[in-house]
Amino acid sequence: MEDKFDCIIVGAGVAGLAAAMTLARQNMKFLLIERGEFPGSKNVSGGVLWGTDLHRLVPEYWKEDAGWERYIQHRRLTFMDEQSAFSIDFKSSHFQEPPYTGVVVLRSRFDRWLAEKVQEAIDASDYAMDSFIATDILVEDLVHDEHGQVVGIRAGEEEFHAHCVILAEGVNNLLTRKAGLQEAYVPADHMLTGVKEIIRFDQAVLEDRFQLHGNSGMSNEFIGYATNGVEGGGFLYTNRDTISIGLVLGLKDLREKNQKPYDILNHFKTHPAIADMIRGGEVVEYSAHVVSSGDNRVMPKKLSKGGLMVCGEAANLLLNAGKAIQGMDYAMRSGILAAEQAVASKASGDFGESAMKGYEKALNDSYIMKDIRNFQDAVHLLHDPVMTSKMPNLICDFGRNFFSIKNQPTKKSRAMLHDSIQKHASYWDLLKLGARGAKAL
Amino acid sequence: MSSSSQPVKTLSLPEKLGLVSYRNQSKSEIKPHIRVKTEICNSTCPHQCTTYVCPANCYTKDDLGKVHFQVEDCIECGTCMYACDQGAVSWEFPDPEIGRGVTWNFG
Repeated sequence: MEDKFDCIIVGAGVAGLAAAMTLARQNMKFLLIERGEFPGSKNVSGGVLWGTDLHRLVPEYWKEDAGWERYIQHRRLTFMDEQSAFSIDFKSSHFQEPPYTGVVVLRSRFDRWLAEKVQEAIDASDYAMDSFIATDILVEDLVHDEHGQVVGIRAGEEEFHAHCVILAEGVNNLLTRKAGLQEAYVPADHMLTGVKEIIRFDQAVLEDRFQLHGNSGMSNEFIGYATNGVEGGGFLYTNRDTISIGLVLGLKDLREKNQKPYDILNHFKTHPAIADMIRGGEVVEYSAHVVSSGDNRVMPKKLSKGGLMVCGEAANLLLNAGKAIQGMDYAMRSGILAAEQAVASKASGDFGESAMKGYEKALNDSYIMKDIRNFQDAVHLLHDPVMTSKMPNLICDFGRNFFSIKNQPTKKSRAMLHDSIQKHASYWDLLKLGARGAKAL
Repeated sequence: MSSSSQPVKTLSLPEKLGLVSYRNQSKSEIKPHIRVKTEICNSTCPHQCTTYVCPANCYTKDDLGKVHFQVEDCIECGTCMYACDQGAVSWEFPDPEIGRGVTWNFG
């Protein structure tokens, strides 16, 4: 492979594959390098791919027996104390119409399927014989020219050259750090560890239990008892014949509270509401992965330099503002935007620092950075200790009183709420929280 | 009682890790992708947090309270790289040929 590529992409996750698809469609000559055995083999997510961009990448993806598991028709946010679960629950046939509001994916399947679609796009391009998806190759370093511009990558003894490189290496962004775009040591403060189990069921049991039909699915997030006092939350998503159940746990809090993530996950699974949902299942995989909290203080200072662009989780593009945990859709859009800049740069012949900044500008103008900027207060609020236990305990205490019927004179709801607040928090806590919440959301 | 009414079996961590597909399992010698200066863990570190935050329990304490590290069970999550604020952990990606690391079946 003597010839120079238009672009080299490092990492065949959602961001890298979205970039590759965009490049293939624009007749660009590129190399997509993945260190795993196949695309997706190293990747873990919760995970729901939110929004409609997948339709942009693979038009009418819902028409084929694709790599995704189920579309989201039913959503639930649950507050938990030791015994109770109080949920906000929304299900609508409105969500049955494609393009869906989100699809549940298992990355080892989904990324592999998406890579097949990229290969089809390569085959249909002018560079069918010159663009490649290469697996089992570890990129160890970037190659710079005498002006400090990135002009390729090094893998072992071999160098591959390109006009530009897109880093889509994931959250553990070692090359991004080597390139000087982020500090070599990223502290635990705004990072979380995700732990997850895949639990398999008889498909009919799963569909009956979660009231699913066809490819419909459910997403459920949890706040409170789930994390055993550690900041973070829980999730449960329905796949075809399995569920993904797990937790994201604040790493700094985990360190300070001396807790083991797998113990907390086992503890979560014993909650009466969860135990009933997973009854009869068999654990078939245990996995873990770090994610960023969406706090923009952890983002790399810059996401580009001459000949280089960073996208997806390598750029810490993730947001959980209480509505949904968004990361894969950000990866997809940022990969598309980086590839579009590569195409524009090829046309102008300019891959220098100011040209690559065009990607950062496009990202800044996109919904991704708008949402990340707009919802920083919500991120801070969700990670406030009040949200870890006081608030879920208060809500569940109120729920228990409200829904209990005792053949005694019943208090009005306002008095019940007053009792619950007195027991678990204070009006001052609520006032602070309410003011912040009103501003944040 | 039908099987769908049985509670899910609670797995121990070794049982959970037994479900993971690791790479290069047949190779007796592998190149570790994480290097740990345990002399730091065992002298100046105030918390030795890797021994409890690691989701695969790759960091353990012996009877004398000394920290030991093994890479065989590592599932490449990255937790230790952030959790260790003492400069004891240096992290790289495993070499596909001679390293350890995972291939997820579900992911």
